[in-house]
Amino acid sequence: MGKLFEKFPDPLARLIVVFLALVAAGAFVFFVLIPKPVKDLKVQWDNAIRQESARPVKYAGFHACAECHDKLYETKKKGYHRDLSCETCHGAAKAHTEDPDTVKPVIPAERAFCPQCHAYNPSRPRGFPQINPVAHNPLKPCASCHNPHDPKPPTTPKECAACHGEIARTKAVSHHVQLECTTCHVTPQRHKVSPRAVKPTKPQDREFCGKCHGKDASAKLSANAPKIDLAEHGEKYVCWQCHYPHSPEVEQ
Amino acid sequence: MNPELLHTLKELLPQIQGYIYPNEIEIHWGLLIVVYPYITGIVAGAFILASLVKVFNVKEVQPLYRLSLLTALAYLLVAPVALVAHLGHPERFYEILLTPNTSSAMAMFGFVYAWYLMAVLLLEIWFVHRTDLIEWAEHETGAMRFIHRALALFSRDTGERAVAFDHKALKVITIVGIPSAFLLHGYVGFIFGSIKANPWWSSVLIPIVFLFSAIVSGVALVILLYMVITPLTGGKINMRCVDKAIDFLFYAVIVDFSLELVDFIHRVYQSEEEILILSEMVMSKLFASLLIIQVLLGMLLPLALISVTKIFKKRFHLSEDLRKMVYFISVILIQFGIFATRWNVVIGGQMFSKSFRGLTTYKVEFGGIEGLLFAILLLALPIVILAVLMKILPPWKEMREEGAAETVEVAGS
Ligand code: HEC
Ligand code: HEC
Ligand code: HEC
Ligand code: HEC
Ligand code: HEC
Ligand code: HEC
Ligand code: HEC
Ligand code: HEC
Repeated sequence: MGKLFEKFPDPLARLIVVFLALVAAGAFVFFVLIPKPVKDLKVQWDNAIRQESARPVKYAGFHACAECHDKLYETKKKGYHRDLSCETCHGAAKAHTEDPDTVKPVIPAERAFCPQCHAYNPSRPRGFPQINPVAHNPLKPCASCHNPHDPKPPTTPKECAACHGEIARTKAVSHHVQLECTTCHVTPQRHKVSPRAVKPTKPQDREFCGKCHGKDASAKLSANAPKIDLAEHGEKYVCWQCHYPHSPEVEQ
Repeated sequence: MNPELLHTLKELLPQIQGYIYPNEIEIHWGLLIVVYPYITGIVAGAFILASLVKVFNVKEVQPLYRLSLLTALAYLLVAPVALVAHLGHPERFYEILLTPNTSSAMAMFGFVYAWYLMAVLLLEIWFVHRTDLIEWAEHETGAMRFIHRALALFSRDTGERAVAFDHKALKVITIVGIPSAFLLHGYVGFIFGSIKANPWWSSVLIPIVFLFSAIVSGVALVILLYMVITPLTGGKINMRCVDKAIDFLFYAVIVDFSLELVDFIHRVYQSEEEILILSEMVMSKLFASLLIIQVLLGMLLPLALISVTKIFKKRFHLSEDLRKMVYFISVILIQFGIFATRWNVVIGGQMFSKSFRGLTTYKVEFGGIEGLLFAILLLALPIVILAVLMKILPPWKEMREEGAAETVEVAGS
């Protein structure tokens, strides 16, 4: 080893050599061996995008079906399933749109299919239509009573609960159990036939709840209602920003 | 719909309690991410044990010195494997190295790891073994001779100046090493602790709790390895050494336990809005792994067992075998306890909904890269590496020593 190194103790000198060799090797690999594009983030992103967009498209998209199945498309648009894409149920169908006669999409006609979305499950959003697949008209395929492209109860239901089961169930065990739905929602009969076209009213202001809960309330049923001072209580906000109207709770 | 997704959903949905958001049903940081902090914890813990000898001059545990360094190295080599395997595309891992992201907290692991491996652990091991390597090579032939000479970097200098430098360097490295080991595992805690949106993780105490549980697991593992390897290779367990190490372990468990207790009391006292769902989770989904395994079997029982040997000192000092058995059971329990700790942190943090209204479930797969089998493989791999390391850098002489002050000079050089 050179004169320079004699100044250092032997172990240190050797380590320095190894260290310098490692640094040199690393620098060589990084700066010389690896081509520039590999190290350039922008180029990498670009490549990644190209790579992803080069993958074959399997889904045709919602509106592609309208071209040939225009009637179904229009029907579905007005029904409850308007937010579901055709391919949610029929599977990827790009190939079908290109060659409809040889490639047929799957038809999920078996009973087990619909409960994937409709079986009762507490993690589903409030008000989502749910049934118990074991108890709900067993053995018959769902499509024998509900048109999958325009699902609705086969007969016009009498109860709001037929479609708002979750809300009705919730209200049934709440403090508002005595209140009819129509106390708070003026519901035209047509709502039960075409619910999306004709909508019931919803309470709009604080005074509405005040009819029963205000200091000097006089409405029917208001006798039992706990009273609050409308001017003070929960000022600025409408009541249902704090109390769920279908199951009003008072957290202490 | 995607049939694979449907299949998992069908299994998971019935297990869900209450309301959770759709993207919370499946847990994404699975078993591998449990294994990872467990392994880095052992690295940090084993290293701290080694520094006891070098920095704090605890002579009794000298027989564990090299063993704990080699253990730290063996586990350190496996730690990134868990992370890389967890990537969706492990084969693209090298790309991370080519375009380092200096502002990502997760990428910091690469830097901390490299620093710890290269600047601390390898250097320390090299300095410890340098003169031995030279000596071994002199009495050997063939491949082993070459390996040892190469590892010594072909150094042959056992002169006074060189040896004195070894000692000085070791001291410095160990002192730098302690904060580095803290950094390595504190970092893992930091990653969890800094996730603001998750109340189970987001706590400034987490890095510190991680650190102490790391010390506990590392020390316990080295003791366990020592107690298993020594008799298997025909040596005799040095009880003075084990007693001292267990002493140290005992205090570490107490500190770890108190820290976790403080964290717990703090949460309960603060009683923020998440407390209801968290307590429900602890009482249902984490009941076995947290209350039973982590706290009862992993902490309180070992503490009680070791306390018994301390309280009934006379009785236990008469029978070494009895003491050995108690220690042996304790360190094994502690390993399970710490593994459960990692599980509870990692899995627990993903089991409750951010709506604070529901819980999901984690189902461990058996096969596959995220599965049980692979995790077991990962946990076994360091042992294999350790066996190889012990072939190349045999710590036997030191492990067999009667472990008294007068022999330390020989071993340290
Ligand atoms: C280019 C015109 C065209 C487009 C676009 C198209 N289809 Fe079709 N589709 C057809 C024809 C033609 C048939 C066969 C009708 C028949 O057999 O009565 C068919 C049949 C079907 C069937 C029944 C298959 C069976 O086995 O009976 C389904 C389901 C279907 N299409 C779904 C879709 C979906 C979903 C889309 C949108 C992604 C779509 N189609 C787009 C032309 C088209
Ligand atoms: C909720 C799931 C679902 C959605 C969404 C859905 N379908 Fe269907 N579709 C079905 C089921 C179930 C059947 C079988 C009905 C039966 O067995 O009577 C079917 C049958 C069909 C058929 C063949 C039988 C027929 O009624 O002519 C066509 C064509 C079809 N669907 C096209 C479409 C198109 C186009 C869309 C989008 C506008 C769509 N489907 C959306 C579930 C769905
Ligand atoms: C045939 C099923 C059906 C029945 C029966 C039914 N509804 Fe509805 N209702 C719906 C649907 C679907 C909507 C959602 C409409 C939308 O969001 O476009 C809705 C919406 C509502 C809304 C919210 C309207 C809005 O503007 O957000 C209220 C309130 C309501 N229904 C009350 C009632 C009451 C009260 C009854 C019983 C007297 C009832 N509904 C019976 C299907 C039904
Ligand atoms: C991908 C999930 C999904 C699948 C699969 C699905 N649905 Fe639906 N369904 C919905 C959604 C979303 C609504 C609309 C809910 C709303 O308006 O609040 C709905 C509404 C309905 C309704 C109206 C409920 C009411 O309140 O009257 C019926 C009936 C229905 N679906 C039947 C079916 C049948 C039968 C199938 C199987 C062919 C099916 N659904 C498959 C998502 C699904
Ligand atoms: C024998 C006919 C029949 C069959 C088969 C049938 N339903 Fe229904 N379904 C009804 C009627 C009638 C209602 C109106 C509410 C009631 O009376 O329960 C209804 C209501 C519903 C609702 C609305 C519930 C709510 O709370 O808003 C859903 C969702 C539903 N059905 C889904 C299904 C699914 C999914 C299947 C297949 C597993 C199925 N149905 C099979 C007749 C049927
Ligand atoms: C105490 C008065 C009250 C009663 C009784 C009541 N609602 Fe409502 N409901 C409200 C108010 C207030 C809102 C508006 C909430 C909002 O805008 O966030 C509402 C909203 C709704 C909505 C639309 C939003 C949602 O949560 O899905 C539906 C649907 C609905 N109610 C159905 C019903 C049905 C069905 C019943 C009977 C079972 C019922 N309501 C009884 C007060 C009431
Ligand atoms: C028709 C009268 C009536 C109307 C309108 C009404 N409520 Fe009530 N409410 C009652 C009665 C009666 C009770 C007490 C029921 C019982 O517990 O005995 C009650 C109870 C309550 C409670 C107390 C629940 C508890 O835990 O003690 C709250 C909160 C509440 N209502 C909120 C509302 C809100 C918000 C509205 C407006 C959307 C509203 N109410 C509209 C009659 C009414
Ligand atoms: C900012 C949130 C908020 C708003 C807005 C609000 N509340 Fe309340 N409400 C509460 C809380 C919190 C309590 C329970 C503590 C208390 O008794 O003051 C409560 C209690 C009540 C009670 C039970 C009182 C008792 O003595 O048991 C009634 C009834 C009630 N609210 C009705 C209403 C009505 C009607 C409105 C609309 C005019 C309304 N609240 C708006 C937060 C709110």
